[in-house]
Amino acid sequence: MKRLTHIWFIALKDLKLFATDRGALFFFILFPFLFITLFTFMDIGATEDTRLQLHMVSQEAEGGLSYQIIDALESAGDWEIIVMDYDEAYQAVEDKEISGFVAFPADFTEGIMTGAGTELEVVTDAEATSRRAALYGLSQTIASRVGAQYVIANATIELLIEQGIIAPDDSAAIEQVIQPILAGQGGGEAFIEYRTEKVGEVEEESASNWVIPGYLVMFVFFGAAVGAETIVRERQNHTLERLLASSVRQEAILGGIFTGTAAKGLIQILLFWVVGILAFNLDLGPSPAAGIILSILTVIMSAAFAVMLATLVKTQRSAGSIAVLASLVLAPLGGCWWPLFILPQWMQALAKITPHGWATTGFNKLMLFGADFGAVVPEMLALVGFAVLFSAIAVWRFRTSAVE
Amino acid sequence: MAEEFLVAKELHKSFNEHKAVDGVSFTIHKGENFGLLGPNGAGKTTTIRMLSTVLKPDSGDVTVAGHSVKHDSDAVRDIIGFCPQELALYEELSALDNMVFFGRMVGLDGKEAKAQAMKHLEMMGLANRAKGKIAKFSGGMKRRINLAIALMGDPELLFLDEPTVGIDPQSRNNIYETIEGLQAKGMTILYTTHYMEEANRLCDRVAIIDGGKIIALDTPHNLKSQIGPPDKVTLEDVFLKLTGRSLRD
Ligand SMILES: Nc1ncnc2c1ncn2[C@@H]1O[C@H](COP(=O)(O)OP(=O)(O)OP(=O)(O)O)[C@@H](O)[C@H]1O
Ligand SMILES: [Mg+2]
Repeated sequence: MKRLTHIWFIALKDLKLFATDRGALFFFILFPFLFITLFTFMDIGATEDTRLQLHMVSQEAEGGLSYQIIDALESAGDWEIIVMDYDEAYQAVEDKEISGFVAFPADFTEGIMTGAGTELEVVTDAEATSRRAALYGLSQTIASRVGAQYVIANATIELLIEQGIIAPDDSAAIEQVIQPILAGQGGGEAFIEYRTEKVGEVEEESASNWVIPGYLVMFVFFGAAVGAETIVRERQNHTLERLLASSVRQEAILGGIFTGTAAKGLIQILLFWVVGILAFNLDLGPSPAAGIILSILTVIMSAAFAVMLATLVKTQRSAGSIAVLASLVLAPLGGCWWPLFILPQWMQALAKITPHGWATTGFNKLMLFGADFGAVVPEMLALVGFAVLFSAIAVWRFRTSAVE
Repeated sequence: MAEEFLVAKELHKSFNEHKAVDGVSFTIHKGENFGLLGPNGAGKTTTIRMLSTVLKPDSGDVTVAGHSVKHDSDAVRDIIGFCPQELALYEELSALDNMVFFGRMVGLDGKEAKAQAMKHLEMMGLANRAKGKIAKFSGGMKRRINLAIALMGDPELLFLDEPTVGIDPQSRNNIYETIEGLQAKGMTILYTTHYMEEANRLCDRVAIIDGGKIIALDTPHNLKSQIGPPDKVTLEDVFLKLTGRSLRD
C-alpha cells in the first residue's frame, strides 16, 4: 500500500514537472499532430517510390464497370495500378515476378446491374501472406463501395419510378439516371469516391488508417525515449540520491519513474485516438479492444525502454541523442513511415527485431485488413517481450547507475 | 557514555583503482554532533553515502540503531535524514511542493507533510516564499531548503554533507542556528565540512579525514590541546601539523 502511494506520488511529481515544461509539451503533443496533419493532407506518405503497387486484371469487355473502378483507384493516388491480362498476370505470379493480383470476372458489370452479385478473384503467391492480406482488403473495399453505388443507383431509380417521373420499362431513361451516378459526374469526383460516406455501412478508406498508427508508435516511443533525459536529470540533480536515502523502496522509485513516463504516453495515445477518430475519420477495425491494448502495450514497452536507456547512459545529453537516434532508426525500420507489407521480404524480416515493427504490423492487421483480436495476439506478446527485456535491464542497472 | 547509535567498521570504497575511503571506523553516540573534517577529495561524501545506504561499501559495515546498512538497509532508511552536498531539489516546483513531496517519500500523509513543511520553512525564515519556484531562489535560500527537506519526518539521525558550502553569511547563520536548535532537542547529527571554524563551533567530536583515512578523532578541544593551548591554536593548525598541508588546498 505504502509502496503504491510512493509510486503514485513519484509519477504525479513527474507529471507536474512535465506540465511546467512547455518544450516537452510541444514535443509530446503538438508536434505529432502537426506531423500527422501534414502527412495525411499532403500525401507525402505515398510518394512515387513507396507507393503500393497493385496488379489488376479485368476479364470484361472495354467500357465495363471494372474499368471505371480501376480508373478511379488509379486517380485516388494511394497506389500505383498496373493493369494486365489474366494469363499474363497468372504467369507472373507463378514466376514470382509479382506477388498477386485482383481479377474482375467477365460478368462483373452484369452481376452488379442485375443485382445477382459478383465475385472478385484474388490470386496471390502462397508465400506472400501480407500481400495476400493487402489485396484481400482492397477487394473487400471495392466490393463494399460498388455495393454502395448499386444501392444508391437502385434507390434513385425506384424513387423516380415511384414518383412517376420515369416509366419502369424506359431503359433509356434509366440509363440516363444511372450513368452519372456510376460515373460520379455529379461533383466531378471519381466513381469510387462517389457519395459513399452517405451510405451507412460503407466506410471511407483513408490514408490515416496507417499514417496515424505509424506515427502513434513513432511518437509514443520518441516521447518516452526523450523522457529518459528527465530520468537522468533526476540523477544529476541528486534528487535520486535523496530518494534512495529516504524510506522509499527501490522498486517504488523505479515503479514511480516508469509510471510517470507511461502516464505521459497514455495521454498521448488518448489524444491520438480521439483526434484520429474525430478529425481523420480513423477506423479502429472490427476489434477496437485489440487496438487499445496494442496502444497501451506500445506505451508500456516505450516507457520501459526509456527507463532502461536512462540507466545505461551517463549524461542527459547522451540520453537525448541516443533517444533521438534510436527513434529515427527504429521508426522507418519498424514500418512507421510506410506500411511494412509494401517492403521487400528482407526488410520485413528486419522489422521483426524492432518493437515498432510488431506494433505497426498489429495496427495494420486491425485497421487495414480487418483482422480480429486473435490475429494480433502474437504482436501483443512480442511487445510484452520487449517490455520485459527492457525492464529487466533497467532493474539490473538501476542501483549501480544511481549515484554519479 | 551515551548509547552507541551509529557504528562504522572498516569501511572501504574504491572507484576504479582509486581508494576513496580506505578503512574508516568510528562511532557516533546518541544525541551527539559528530564532525567529519577534511579537504576536498578526502572521502567525506563517499563515507556519508555509505552510511546513508546510497552507496554499497566494498567491505566493512555500518549499523544504525543496530540495523546493518548491508543487510537491513530499509530499516536504516526509516531512521535517517539525508542532506546531500549538492542541491537535491526540483527546480521547477515550489519550495512547498518539494518539501511535501519528500515528506510523502518518508511516509508522512498529506496533512502532516504540509504542516511539517510549513514548520520547517518558518524555522528557515522562508515561510513567505513557500509557494515560490526553487529556480527563482538565491543560492543561500536553496541551501536552506535543501537542509529543510532533510528534516522532513523528524529523523533520529541526520546526515549533513557540507550544508553551508558557498553561501552568504545570513543563510549560513540561519543554518547554524537551525542545527544548534536540533542539537538542543537531542537529535544525533553527522556533519561534514572543510571549514574548521564550523567544526569547532558545532561539533562535539571531530574526525579529521584525509586520503580516505581518519587521521585523528577527538573533541575539538582535545585535538587542539595536542599541539598547543586550545584557545590559541585552530583545527587548521592541527591539520597542518598532521599532514604538512593546509586544509584549504
Ligand atoms: N562516483 C565516483 N566515481 C569516481 N570517483 C569518485 C566518485 N565519487 C568520488 N570519487 C572520488 O573519490 C574521492 C573522494 O571523493 P569524495 O566526494 O568522497 O570527497 P569529499 O571529501 O566529499 O570531497 P569534497 O570536499 O570535494 O566534497 C575523490 O578523489 C573523488 O574523485
Ligand atoms: Mg563531498
